[in-house]
Amino acid sequence: MTPITRQIPRHPNVWPMTLLLPAAIVIGFFFYTLSVMVHFSVRPNIGPGQVGDGLTLENYTNFLGSTFYLGYLGRSLWISAYCTAITAVLGYVIAYAMHRSSPRVRLIAGAILIVQFFTAYVIRTYAVMLVIGKNGILSKALLAIGAIEQPLTLLFSEVGVAIGMVLVSLPFMVFPIFNSLQAIPVNLETAATSLGASRMRTFWEVIFPLTMPGVAAGVVIVYLFELTSYIVPGVLGGGYFDMMANLIYAKAMQSFDYPAAAAAAMVMLVIAAGAIYLLQKAFRLLTPHM
Amino acid sequence: MPTRFAHFWIKIAGAALLAMLACPLIILIGVSLNPGVEQLFPPSGLSLRWYFNLANRDGFVAATRLTLLLALWSALASVVIATLAGIAIVRYRFPGRDLVLTLLLSPLIVPQVVVGMAFLITLSAMGIFSSVLTLAILHVVITLPFATRVVVAALSGASIRLEEAARSLGATPAKAFLLVTLPLVRSGVIAAAVFAFVVSFENFTASQFLVWDRTTLPVELYTYVQTENDPTAAAISSLIVLSAIAFVVAFNGFISRHMFGSGSRK
Repeated sequence: MTPITRQIPRHPNVWPMTLLLPAAIVIGFFFYTLSVMVHFSVRPNIGPGQVGDGLTLENYTNFLGSTFYLGYLGRSLWISAYCTAITAVLGYVIAYAMHRSSPRVRLIAGAILIVQFFTAYVIRTYAVMLVIGKNGILSKALLAIGAIEQPLTLLFSEVGVAIGMVLVSLPFMVFPIFNSLQAIPVNLETAATSLGASRMRTFWEVIFPLTMPGVAAGVVIVYLFELTSYIVPGVLGGGYFDMMANLIYAKAMQSFDYPAAAAAAMVMLVIAAGAIYLLQKAFRLLTPHM
Repeated sequence: MPTRFAHFWIKIAGAALLAMLACPLIILIGVSLNPGVEQLFPPSGLSLRWYFNLANRDGFVAATRLTLLLALWSALASVVIATLAGIAIVRYRFPGRDLVLTLLLSPLIVPQVVVGMAFLITLSAMGIFSSVLTLAILHVVITLPFATRVVVAALSGASIRLEEAARSLGATPAKAFLLVTLPLVRSGVIAAAVFAFVVSFENFTASQFLVWDRTTLPVELYTYVQTENDPTAAAISSLIVLSAIAFVVAFNGFISRHMFGSGSRK
């Protein structure tokens, strides 16, 4: 629904400016902190927690010229890409199953997802650690049925991080897809089948294209969330699979190299914004009729 | 019928995936009931030992208090600020209105680690030490866009006609808004507050840059899980999971209608 607006005849711009003032102060301060960070990212580092005078691009060239640092970036981009794809498929299955279920089942399914949302990421990641750890239930169950002979070593590996990422971000994918499924008029489906389309064809040619905006929204949210995740690689990677956010934190809080951390943070900000832009553009190309 | 068959299997798959999401939390609760120091599932016995142990762990008690305080204040502050801004954006026409809304929502795309890093550097450049106040400001910055998005959507959905009717009957603009429009958008405002509360409560990545002597619960838990290996963390986590379940069971209808845009159709 479009916002309903009206013209206030007298002093048209005084009231909105006053009402916006508190928000402008908060957001203004936020942009100020970003500008300070940009400023730090082009200053030389002259010791822990200190910055020198003058301008330099050294922090950026150090980052972008080092395969070690670029490794963090590449690793983050890659694992988030395939985890987002897996999350999208699994999320679609959950959303579609909910869509086809009775309102009662749907309410229970929704409750399970919302409880996830209300439970802190740290807690959910820790819970995943208890499941996939060396003495976790997954390892013990597989040992008991004889599927494996040694305890699982999923923890502190890429696979462990990937499992955690998918589980933690799945609820973000389900809601937008489910809402777009629910918004499709039932008549459309009836029309397609009455014109002779098979149920399969109706799904792929009518239902699925109409849910693309929901999929796009979910993919953008989840990719951004996974690309920038700190907790999941921190807990489930245990230092063996650090991503960009972990690198930035270590640079700032362990090496106290603020300029290097600021430059890495700027790179991440630009990459994240670029990824959102490209994903949205790609989805727009995929669905030209929207 | 082949489609009934296909739908049957999709529902089975959906149920299995939801079970996969619910399982870790159930295991967490099971682990918290262990009588021994090992984090076993199924627990080797049933004991509330680790729950009683929480009372002795000053770190967790203080962190819980600070986290709740931060969540309450930042939810309140961001909803008030968002509502004022929302009125300006939805009810008035002025140049750059869309740009203002975009700017207010822009922190949503900035990674949390960047937000935390920028705050840390700014405070250090200003010579200010991290305190509860700086954490509170950080949390308002983080929760405001979430609150703004929900409040603006609610206000856009409320018709201006009723407010105009009230004004034509002699109500002042403030009175017309408070007595007519605000009750109409009340659910949206409450939903915004709950969103802001949750976002603040579970924030870890940005907050960890600003905690020194006092920590928030997610930071305390993260550190505990990294360094210790007993069910204390499972006990406090279970308390939070159980509170979340209680909240969702009590308000499921409201939450799915006003917070996730589902459950109201069909």
